[in-house]
Amino acid sequence: MSTNNIVEEIKKNISLFQKETEKEETGKVIEVGDGIARLSGLSKCQASEMIEFGSGEETTYGLALNLEEETIGCVLLGEYRHIKEGDTVKRTNRILSVPVGDELVGRVVNPLGQAIDGGKEIKTGKFAPIEKIAPGVMTREPVTQPLQTGIKAIDALIPIGRGQRELIIGDRQTGKTAVAIDAIINQKGKDIICVYVAVGQKESKVARIVAKLKEAGAMEYTIVVVAGASQPAAMSYIAPYSGVAMAEYFMDKGKDVLCVYDDLTKQAWAYREISLLLRRPPGREAYPGDVFYLHSRLLERSCRRNQESGGGSITALPIIETQAGDISAYIPTNVISITDGQIFLETDLFYKGIRPALNVGVSVSRVGGAAQIKPMKKVAGKLKLAMAQFREMEAFAQFSSDLDAETKNQIDLGQRLAEVLKQPQYEPVSVSQQVAVIYAVSNGFASAVAVKDMKEWENGLHAFLEKSKGVLLAKLEAGEWDEKVEAELKDACGQFKS
Amino acid sequence: MRKQSNLQFAKALYEVTKSLPAESLPQVVKQFFITLQKYNKLKKIDYILEDFISYSKKQSGIKTIEVETTRELDEKTREKIINTFGAKSEITQKINKQILGGIRIKIDDTVHDASLKTQLYKLKQALIK
Repeated sequence: MSTNNIVEEIKKNISLFQKETEKEETGKVIEVGDGIARLSGLSKCQASEMIEFGSGEETTYGLALNLEEETIGCVLLGEYRHIKEGDTVKRTNRILSVPVGDELVGRVVNPLGQAIDGGKEIKTGKFAPIEKIAPGVMTREPVTQPLQTGIKAIDALIPIGRGQRELIIGDRQTGKTAVAIDAIINQKGKDIICVYVAVGQKESKVARIVAKLKEAGAMEYTIVVVAGASQPAAMSYIAPYSGVAMAEYFMDKGKDVLCVYDDLTKQAWAYREISLLLRRPPGREAYPGDVFYLHSRLLERSCRRNQESGGGSITALPIIETQAGDISAYIPTNVISITDGQIFLETDLFYKGIRPALNVGVSVSRVGGAAQIKPMKKVAGKLKLAMAQFREMEAFAQFSSDLDAETKNQIDLGQRLAEVLKQPQYEPVSVSQQVAVIYAVSNGFASAVAVKDMKEWENGLHAFLEKSKGVLLAKLEAGEWDEKVEAELKDACGQFKS
Repeated sequence: MRKQSNLQFAKALYEVTKSLPAESLPQVVKQFFITLQKYNKLKKIDYILEDFISYSKKQSGIKTIEVETTRELDEKTREKIINTFGAKSEITQKINKQILGGIRIKIDDTVHDASLKTQLYKLKQALIK
């Protein structure tokens, strides 16, 4: 292209440009500090509207939260050191919204939808408000389809369905994030979009997770929304809403989405900080009065839509961190009551080497049972019974010589099942393999194997089935289960044993 | 009891003085200062007066128009502005070389921006796209 052409094009662009007077409403900064600002003027400002501070390169946005007679209380979403008392601020006439669209998939973004992975700018051309009322009763449908996490203990005992909200709760360092990340990795090739929202997490942890997701090829269908610990509290507060707004775009297109909020305790802290600074009255543990609504309005947005409304779903895996295993604290009880069940992870089990450190007694899934595939339902029933009996008699295990044969058998079986439910991180197992291994153990095909060799035995079984029983696995994967399939599975286990 | 704000004093002063004849004003003002002293507000008098002025303007429907240009306004433009925005208004003028050209008019909270600087910025944004 010659210089003249460029000049012509620029001229054309300039001639297309229309001059127009800008009408804007302005106000003044009365005070600023601790990530909040109090403003005067802006008499027509709406609730949760974006407010512009400064101009040009140094633009920071704020979010109007308190509308009072004379002043507006607003949180700042970003750098605020250049804002001074007396500065002019502008209304934007926009409710806080984030870009949504397919372009976001595979990216790491901040809660405003801006890329922070060093990649090119994200331009989706479509915005969605971060706060939206959840879909109503008439557009919903019961949860019926399973969402496989690839973790044996969860898929068998506490199954999760698409559209369910399953809380992951436990002390620090018990593998809460690991469970969620495994669930994301297992969605590979299943046409599910995943959204991982990191709230107030260490940047190093987020970097590690992103690297792991990339390594597992999971970033191809995942959006990571990061509000780091070094960012203002307002970012942590809005991050889960941004994440779910991005997820809703895919749900509206009829897709299934998995949303992980890691973790909501920190979001509640951030909201408490903002509320106290905005001088809202504190309540129990200094949380504001609407801290329950904070989480309920977020989690209500996960749902299964019926066919008339597009048929998409958002499955939510919120994470809550407890202090010293106390699940009856304020925030944990709130979130437990909102969700459709919880996965409770325990420090004691974790250090006993039972990983994932799932406490099967306290963990429940209120709606997931309906979503299990038939073969899994069949084998899990047996597993649940055997595990319950085993827990009752576990204490007697050390007197094994004095026990009658039946009790001893039950303990032996329980020990092997417990061993099989252990699973290393980042190694999700397909549902057909899960069914096969649980079936084999609970029907006594592994009774001759020593407890410490169970891992090896299990790997052997997986490899054997993979190699020579592909058809059977496909049948199980598709949810087929009748006497014929069961006989086939029994036969396969027998073959492997010999 | 909650602390009184400057605005509340300003409002009170306005309410008391709005329908009074001119000769009783000194009396009222004296009383006002005594009240201020009672509430320990004398040192805030500047802010109170500021609020009083803006409040009384708002009550009587006077708009404050702030005009920013790069040069002095001539009479004709001035008249035009007054005609456009209503006769009951007070015009203050400000010379601001930063806007490069054109005009910026601020009426209470609303700013009408027809400055060259903003136009150029918008043009820049349009060209980037």
